[in-house]
Amino acid sequence: MNAVLDNLDAYFKAFGYTIFLFLVAGVLSTLLGTVLVAMRVGPVAVLRGAAATYVTVVRNTPLVIMFAFFSFAAPIFGIQFKWLQVHVGTFDFTAFFGAAVVSLTLYTSAFVCEGLRAGVNAVPLGQVEAARAIGLPFGGVMSQVVLPQAFRAALPPLASVQIALIKNTSVAAVFGVAEATAQMRTFTNSFSSERFGIFVCFAIGYIVIVEAFSFLATRTERHWRVAL
Amino acid sequence: MRRTRFGIAAAGVLLAGMLTACGDAGSDDEGRDVEAKENAADEFDAGTRMKELAEAGKITVGVKYDQPGLGFKGANDDIPSGFDVEIAKLLVADLGIDPADTSVVTYEETISDNREPFLESGKVDLVLASYSITDDRRKVVGQTGPYFVTGQQLLVPADSDVASIDDLKGQEVCSVTGSTSIDRINEAGAKGVGFDSYSECVQKVLDGTVQGMSTDGSILAGYAAENEGQLKVVGDEFSEELIGVGYSKEHPEMCEWINDVLEDSFEDGSWAEAFELTLGPSGVETPDPPQLQDCVA
Amino acid sequence: MTGAPLVVLDHVDKWFGDLHVLQDINLTVDRGEVVVVIGPSGSGKSTLCRAINRLEVIQQGSITLDGQPLPAEGKELANLRAEVGMVFQSFNLFAHKTILENVTLGPIKVRGIKKEAAETRARELLDRVGVGHQAAKYPAQLSGGQQQRVAIARALAMEPKVMLFDEPTSALDPEMISEVLEVMVDLAKRGMTMVVVTHEMGFARTAADRVVFMADGAIVEENTPDEFFTNPQSDRAKDFLGKILKH
Repeated sequence: MNAVLDNLDAYFKAFGYTIFLFLVAGVLSTLLGTVLVAMRVGPVAVLRGAAATYVTVVRNTPLVIMFAFFSFAAPIFGIQFKWLQVHVGTFDFTAFFGAAVVSLTLYTSAFVCEGLRAGVNAVPLGQVEAARAIGLPFGGVMSQVVLPQAFRAALPPLASVQIALIKNTSVAAVFGVAEATAQMRTFTNSFSSERFGIFVCFAIGYIVIVEAFSFLATRTERHWRVAL
Repeated sequence: MRRTRFGIAAAGVLLAGMLTACGDAGSDDEGRDVEAKENAADEFDAGTRMKELAEAGKITVGVKYDQPGLGFKGANDDIPSGFDVEIAKLLVADLGIDPADTSVVTYEETISDNREPFLESGKVDLVLASYSITDDRRKVVGQTGPYFVTGQQLLVPADSDVASIDDLKGQEVCSVTGSTSIDRINEAGAKGVGFDSYSECVQKVLDGTVQGMSTDGSILAGYAAENEGQLKVVGDEFSEELIGVGYSKEHPEMCEWINDVLEDSFEDGSWAEAFELTLGPSGVETPDPPQLQDCVA
Repeated sequence: MTGAPLVVLDHVDKWFGDLHVLQDINLTVDRGEVVVVIGPSGSGKSTLCRAINRLEVIQQGSITLDGQPLPAEGKELANLRAEVGMVFQSFNLFAHKTILENVTLGPIKVRGIKKEAAETRARELLDRVGVGHQAAKYPAQLSGGQQQRVAIARALAMEPKVMLFDEPTSALDPEMISEVLEVMVDLAKRGMTMVVVTHEMGFARTAADRVVFMADGAIVEENTPDEFFTNPQSDRAKDFLGKILKH
């Protein structure tokens, strides 16, 4: 325990990276997942096929391989993230952070898409017909009527997807991001005698983040239930 | 049809990339032949761990599989190769066990994170896995030696102007996640970024994402030799790592025995021979044998 | 009371698989006219109504609105639908929006009217249909009759050229039917062009300019309400009226 307590700044900074990874990838994957689901249920066959293929490929690819692709294969094709040079306080967001965000976003968006699709299927057809009947075009039908209701219906599975993302950020540990799991390994290597306490401290860190997020999700769900 | 062909081409390029990433590190040379000592069991006092091992005729040694020159096991190798392994062979042979016979010697892969747990649980009897001696580790396991002293240097592109870690202050420098090297990089004012293995860091140096990587000079020399003309080792050693042998704290008597075997190898030239065979090819000159630490009873 | 042709269906055919649900339908609805479509269930009357704003796609023939043929999918179809108000059997109010938002959504998003103006207009319409005090509530908090009146207000907010009613009272409890019919009668009096699919013969008698009787996907008979109810020509119509008027 002392290893962590004596280095609390390193502990919190590492979880800071974990939270940044989660927030950025969480927002981007939700946006991309929403676009994908609109493609999947939309009227254009090519887009439907493209989105379905994307989901199939990405959902069946291990996350580590996504990371490995953007770390080792993509640079061969010139896809690097060296342009990313953002420094906020003591936090550095560079190529490694960029590659991690892209990997996590692409991966998570496939699950967001599927979760949302279940939500879209739960929206009664009559809602769509009514939206069309007042003259909304496809985009308006989706953005004004279908997706808001789909999000409400799909909130529990979407929250699960984002919780999985929180934990999945740990994969970035071995792809150049000094997030919590990387810091934990530094601690366990430097303070081998305190391994158990170190594990406990880091498990608690993840639990706190996940619980805080779950709390928000549950509150939102309750709020929306009142609205409906 | 065209799409299929493009797919195959893309897959090919990808696969090629992956293979390059895997690298073909490691040397083909065989390693030294070390003869098992005869009637070794008679030499040890009853009740010692050495006696037990010698009588059982079996031993498990923890080594690295991924560090060319120190501990490396290629896909087709029966026994790992490298300086750590050569020293392990001397210890194994002293117990009267044939170090080349994998039915009696198991060279178990240990990574940085599991060396202490493996020793504590008895999963391995000895650890020779570029295992730095530290006070903290000595709280949970026995460590003695060193049989090798090394320090951290930098591996940079051959055309780089970087001459020392000071030139990389505030810049990202790659090493293995959680390793002591990362700490040392941070202490030196650079920013350590971690990957799963050194070969992955080599990729990041080669593709220019980082300006350099850092770990023990001996390891870097191996990669410099492998990527001749593309990478070079620079700078003074900015840390000192004492590489020692790990054993279980439950068997403190092993310390003296290990020191004796190491001392013998220093004197009869087998230590230097092992060094030349394993680390020599990557351009590291064979140093004088290090000063052994005393065993504290 | 009535004027030039507004909705014209010309030799319209539609199949659901092998089922010929609309058979050579020819129907003209003039501006300001109220046409009530009746017939036994499965006669195709709902399909006919939904075909007019292309919620059902027809396979043959043509439908024109104010002289313009119905466009295929896309922006133009959306624009046309904005001109056609539709009231559904199951109300279909947007469940996640308030009553007021239900009524203002179309004007704001489709017509591009400013929010304040749209809300003022929406409140007028909600008052007119008698649910003005419910504006801040969500649809699930309203009774079926109230929801259907909101649905009418929502359609009217688009200032449509024609209103389609697809069995607007069939899902309502009996005591709520009249409050909806009153709104519809009022609308008819104000000169709105209406196509109403219904089982409410009372409404047909009082408000309709013309009754269209359908059976098995075809228009069997059309006439003024008085003529139709007192002197039906076809056997199918006689049979149908005999069954429903018994009660």
